Amino acid sequence: MSYALIVAEARRGIFEERNLDSIGICTLLGKETVMLLPDGQYSFNEKLVDSIIKVKAGEEVFLNPLNMAAIIEKVSETRGRPDFIVFTHSSSGAESAAYAAGLFGFPIITDVSGCDKERGVFFKSYYSDKLFGEFKTTGDATSVLTVRSGSFKEFAAEKAAAPREEVIEGVTVSDSRTFVEYVEEEKTDIDITKADFLLSVGRGVGNKDEIPAYEELAGLLKAVISGSRPVIDKMWLPKARQVGTSGKTVKPKVYLAMGISGAFQHIAGMKDADCIIAINKDAEAPIFQYAHYGIVGDMHKVRDALKGIVKG
Amino acid sequence: MNILVFTKRVPATQEEELRLINDGKDVDFSKLPFKVNDWDNYAVEEAVKIVEKGGGAVTAVSIGDTESDEVLRRAIAMGAKDGFLVEVDQVLHDPFARGALIRNFIQKENVPFDAIFTGVQSEDDQFASVGGILAALLKLPYVSMVIGIDSVEKDHMVVRRELEGGLQERVRVTTPCVISIQSGINEPRYVSIMGIRKASKVERKSFKGKEYDAGKEAHIELVKWVYPPKKGGAQMLGGELGDICKKLMEILKEKGVYQ
Ligand SMILES: Cc1cc2nc3c(=O)[nH]c(=O)nc-3n(C[C@H](O)[C@H](O)[C@H](O)COP(=O)(O)OP(=O)(O)OC[C@H]3O[C@@H](n4cnc5c(N)ncnc54)[C@H](O)[C@@H]3O)c2cc1C
Repeated sequence: MSYALIVAEARRGIFEERNLDSIGICTLLGKETVMLLPDGQYSFNEKLVDSIIKVKAGEEVFLNPLNMAAIIEKVSETRGRPDFIVFTHSSSGAESAAYAAGLFGFPIITDVSGCDKERGVFFKSYYSDKLFGEFKTTGDATSVLTVRSGSFKEFAAEKAAAPREEVIEGVTVSDSRTFVEYVEEEKTDIDITKADFLLSVGRGVGNKDEIPAYEELAGLLKAVISGSRPVIDKMWLPKARQVGTSGKTVKPKVYLAMGISGAFQHIAGMKDADCIIAINKDAEAPIFQYAHYGIVGDMHKVRDALKGIVKG
Repeated sequence: MNILVFTKRVPATQEEELRLINDGKDVDFSKLPFKVNDWDNYAVEEAVKIVEKGGGAVTAVSIGDTESDEVLRRAIAMGAKDGFLVEVDQVLHDPFARGALIRNFIQKENVPFDAIFTGVQSEDDQFASVGGILAALLKLPYVSMVIGIDSVEKDHMVVRRELEGGLQERVRVTTPCVISIQSGINEPRYVSIMGIRKASKVERKSFKGKEYDAGKEAHIELVKWVYPPKKGGAQMLGGELGDICKKLMEILKEKGVYQ
């Protein structure tokens, strides 16, 4: 029986929303969907899949690519080889997908954000979404995919019957890589997720010395300053100010993005803002696809002109 | 500890318009500047820091055309002892093919290592998978998205890897292992033109990629490139800078975030 195996992500008892994209692409491809989950209670619409296989082991087992490969092997022994193994394009999804593809010699396409079933091609982002590559797998081996969050969830549809559920156990757990603990982010004074107005700066800011002038502008506009990852990596702004998948998800009334290109890891963290205004000197910057208003220009000049207006 | 670090030369596309040629079979790179892949910069820095503290050596490896020598020189200027170029005349789109080529190279040339570092992903193709494929092919443990190396012992390391939303996971991994390094783990040191010039005097070894072809048949094929589908797109504010900024202020007032 041809089927797609979905490696779901559950973290600290929560079924991650991005699993819906994995379910969606399998539905779109017309495959019987078999979902792997750690053993436990997870709240989601179970009718979206045909079967659920619960793995009798803690969530941490799913965080380890070596264990994940062993689980996939075990499922394949009883059910036969899947046509697709689908992961989310997340930290752990990308990690386990790559390892499994290497171990089993399967083709892999990552960060898939679209597909054309008739032509058998998958779309994958290149150059921070400035181009897409259309990829095909060669041969008929199982294909490993990682899917971009938000790309396929609309295709997930309820099945007529409730999913069959089974539990597997006895998975060999690797001892060459072991989970020690979760580490939480430090709590800080300002919570950017609560701000109505975020002024966010990206790598386009150029250098650290420019930051105070943006802080001043944010102060004048009564906005809270935040940033894209490169600005945080360079420690020009504190970690708690990072917007994006590995930072914070924000939903302000206004998100003013200055010198940010619009990589999907950033977009994922701010796309639901009521109003997005982007300033970028590159008219082709992908952020303009998500913004409501756009200005093509030098962010420093815009900054100074805005200051001039506010100060009167 | 001997650390192999993979470093790649990529086009700097952030501020450039990308032009498709040959019906989308190719991208016109003729006018683009090139640079070292951002994530690899952090990987080289982290490896150099580890050997500076605990001894050993860093070897930088690049797969690409002869121009990739540039990123090796840079790595040497940052503190790598050697630079190896595995020369290929065609871009390998398939990360599996790349992983297999690296495996073959390491095994055939008997390259010694205690750890292999890669960047989390390349800026150009964003596959984020060569490290994982290589680890599996070499039957080594793998940890990706590493944002902190807490301790390096004789036979293992304790590292922190990033999950989503600010959460991290602490992991113990035995060596030899493959690790992919996430940006922000350190602050890559500045390299001067002088430093790179000095590094040019250190001999780099070049190898022909063709020698390591066994079992690296591509499993995926790039049919063509396309421009991303246009979404709604923004309403662009045009005119003189002063007018644009006034319009922007009006929007802020209308949205109720500025009085
Ligand atoms: C696993 C993973 C997790 C990640 N998590 C996050 C995350 O949480 N948040 C995040 O932001 N990123 C994240 N990233 C990084 C992401 O992929 C991008 O690298 C990053 O978002 C790029 O930031 P940027 O837009 O500021 O920089 P760039 O992509 O370098 O863009 C800079 C932009 O500034 C413009 N510019 C330059 N100078 C000027 C000027 N004077 N005036 C106006 N415009 C100018 C340029 O045209 C360009 O568009 C993650 C990546 C990975 C792999």
